[in-house]
Amino acid sequence: MEGILSNLAVGFVHVFQPVNFLVLAIGIILGLLVAVLPGLTLVMGVVLALPFTYSMEVIPAIILLTAMYISGTYAGAWTSILFHVPGEPIDVPLLWDGYQMARKGRAAQALGWTLLSAFAGGMVAAVVMVLLAQPVARIALTFSTPEYFAILFFGLSSVVSLGGSSLTNALISLFAGLLIATVGVDDTYGTHRFTFNVPILSDGIDYLVVMVGAYGLGEVFLRLEQGFKSVPLDAVGKIRTRLPRLREVLATKMTFLRGSATGIIVGLVPGAGATVSSFLSYGIEGQYGRRRQKLGTGIPEGIIAPQTAATASVGGAIIPLVTMGIPGSGATAIILGAFLLHGLQPGPQVFQTSSHIIYAMFASVFVGIVVMCAIGYFATKYMVKVLAFPEVIVSAYVVMMCILGAFAARNNITDVWLVAIFGVLGYLFERFKFPITPLVLGVILGPLAESSFMTSMISYSNDWTVFFTRPISGPIMLIAILTLLYPVFRRMRQRMKQRIASQ
Amino acid sequence: MKKDMLSNGFHGICSVALVALAGTIVPASAQDKYPSRPIELVVPWGPGGGADQLARKIAPALEKELKVSLPVINVAGATGQTGLNKMLTSPADGYSISIFIADTLALQMDPATKWKIEDIVPAAVMIRQPSAFFVAENSPLKTWKDIEAEAKKRPLKVAITGFGSADDLHVIYFTQKGLKLTSVPFAKPAERYTAILGGHADILYEQLGDVKSFLDGKQMRPVLIFSEARFPAFGNVPASFELGHRIAISQFRSIAMKAGTDQGRVKGVSDALAKVAATDDYKAWLKDQYADEKSFIPAAGAVAFMKQELETMRKYAPKK
Repeated sequence: MEGILSNLAVGFVHVFQPVNFLVLAIGIILGLLVAVLPGLTLVMGVVLALPFTYSMEVIPAIILLTAMYISGTYAGAWTSILFHVPGEPIDVPLLWDGYQMARKGRAAQALGWTLLSAFAGGMVAAVVMVLLAQPVARIALTFSTPEYFAILFFGLSSVVSLGGSSLTNALISLFAGLLIATVGVDDTYGTHRFTFNVPILSDGIDYLVVMVGAYGLGEVFLRLEQGFKSVPLDAVGKIRTRLPRLREVLATKMTFLRGSATGIIVGLVPGAGATVSSFLSYGIEGQYGRRRQKLGTGIPEGIIAPQTAATASVGGAIIPLVTMGIPGSGATAIILGAFLLHGLQPGPQVFQTSSHIIYAMFASVFVGIVVMCAIGYFATKYMVKVLAFPEVIVSAYVVMMCILGAFAARNNITDVWLVAIFGVLGYLFERFKFPITPLVLGVILGPLAESSFMTSMISYSNDWTVFFTRPISGPIMLIAILTLLYPVFRRMRQRMKQRIASQ
Repeated sequence: MKKDMLSNGFHGICSVALVALAGTIVPASAQDKYPSRPIELVVPWGPGGGADQLARKIAPALEKELKVSLPVINVAGATGQTGLNKMLTSPADGYSISIFIADTLALQMDPATKWKIEDIVPAAVMIRQPSAFFVAENSPLKTWKDIEAEAKKRPLKVAITGFGSADDLHVIYFTQKGLKLTSVPFAKPAERYTAILGGHADILYEQLGDVKSFLDGKQMRPVLIFSEARFPAFGNVPASFELGHRIAISQFRSIAMKAGTDQGRVKGVSDALAKVAATDDYKAWLKDQYADEKSFIPAAGAVAFMKQELETMRKYAPKK
């Protein structure tokens, strides 16, 4: 214990060296920028920064990438809350309560909850990362493909709690999303599916195109029809990030805890990162939250759950990276690349041979979160002013971001057409009361679920019971199925009551 | 430095605009000088694996030679076909190049494969490494003999990159010899290594250099190395040929471009790669990766090399 603390102190000394601290600040700002732009995903941003680390010393190189990773899980929430355009797939769950809150004129509070959630989730995970890295790392090894699948299945089944009024419509939307996700070359056998000999389709339909089109453009189209108006906000100029009161925080402490724990555990698992943890945490809130009935109407819990989990997943994903050399997420896989390029091999031996580098990385997580929140606090003050702009202008900006984002993903003009098509689809969905979220959820999580399902089937000689008989995947699958069936039972009970009442 | 960083962040957006301009308005001038804008280097495998490490190693050196940036992009899936598709769906102008490895070449044995070897032109073979079967250090199976005995009693799971790959051929070879081995595909290296360290698979097929950290960290050990003679660094591990298993498909990793790319551009990239391969830094890296020190083959010989490798694979492939 004392050894850990003194090592960490040395880590802080490294981080606070002027060059390292400057690199950290740059990393935080770059991460925020990457997160805000829908076309640039977090992992892509870290990949783009990697070449700049070639010529650096190892410690600033690792600090830069780690800082980008941390802040990349945060800033996309701003665009979700203010524009209804998720900057990252991570931020899709923030559209529900976060955007609703902003529409009700409480954007400042929504941003405040986001800030606090990122801070709390990040810090809890960082403490776990430092104190429990070694024992917790073993959890990651017990997870295999059936567990990945169970987690993803639970994530998909959460559509029920997100679907709003009609379960049928939610399921139709989900399956449409899953179908879109199957387009392209399949991951296991390399079969071409629904490609119609169109080259770009064999490359698959990027979830980014669907997400940006259906949410961003769809929302703009809807406003076109309904007429633009300014958000009912009085005196926007006075608004700044309003941090929640202590009393409000205490009332939601369980949500903070659940979110952090979900983030850490999902972060640990190599197959899943911030996106899965964010969706999963929102789904869990929909199951166990004290105010689960109100979820989706713009309550703080709907912001806390996904945001704490997303930022907590950073600490979780770093644990298997440094203790075993196995990256827990896409971004940590790039950080592993940076370690390897500097001739450093993360693994059990690294704590003996280069502990100062590892602890500098740990320390940079703590400092990074503080710097990120400080920047976030002051940046959001100006960001909310956007809401004072006429909606027409904001919408034009949203359309531009959507098109730029679609093109940037693969530098292909076909994606711009696709984003327009999904924009229309999103509008039609919205118009005819089909929820969009299950569609996007299917497109993002579908391919991950498929490949873990296929690998499990191959691995356990086509025995489907394996998902139910393994100690971790079994309970998760059971909860997921109950989640799916619960609304059906509820409706049956209501009908019975009505029948009794009418008799 | 701050300026560099910011310009990089901006780079994506600027290059997007430039690509649009170059593609539509001034196609002629873009052909004059190659390369005049960033070249995308596609890695058809996840970050952290051997293909990824090669790309990360050569990209900065190649940037110096070609004087443009080479963003590395990981597009994993379908034994490298998802990434290959990305390269093949781009224009044949030399601005999208891809890592191309033996595993993906092996798919050519299936006549149903949608792309042909003629669709690509190799610019150079960069690294050739021996492969091996590994077990976790704490596995009850310690040696190849243990595995042979156990695999006659119950099926053992072998973690591989994907179906139809060279990995898969080695497994098929042994199943034909009566061992009960099942290939389980994990495209992402992280998942493959978790499978073996967590005991979810019994054996891992991998190149020695790719799992160096796990070998150094005493987490895994090789049990059978696919080569004609024993490998000096692992003197106590048998070579496949000495046990009578005459199978050793070399794991090569090359840089490929789309067929139809201007000959001069292919030569430009090939010459730049030759310079990179001749540096002491690269040679030291090859050694560190447990690779063949004469790995490099320029564009001129690479086609013949790949065709010959494919012949070797066909020889070992199961008769349908």
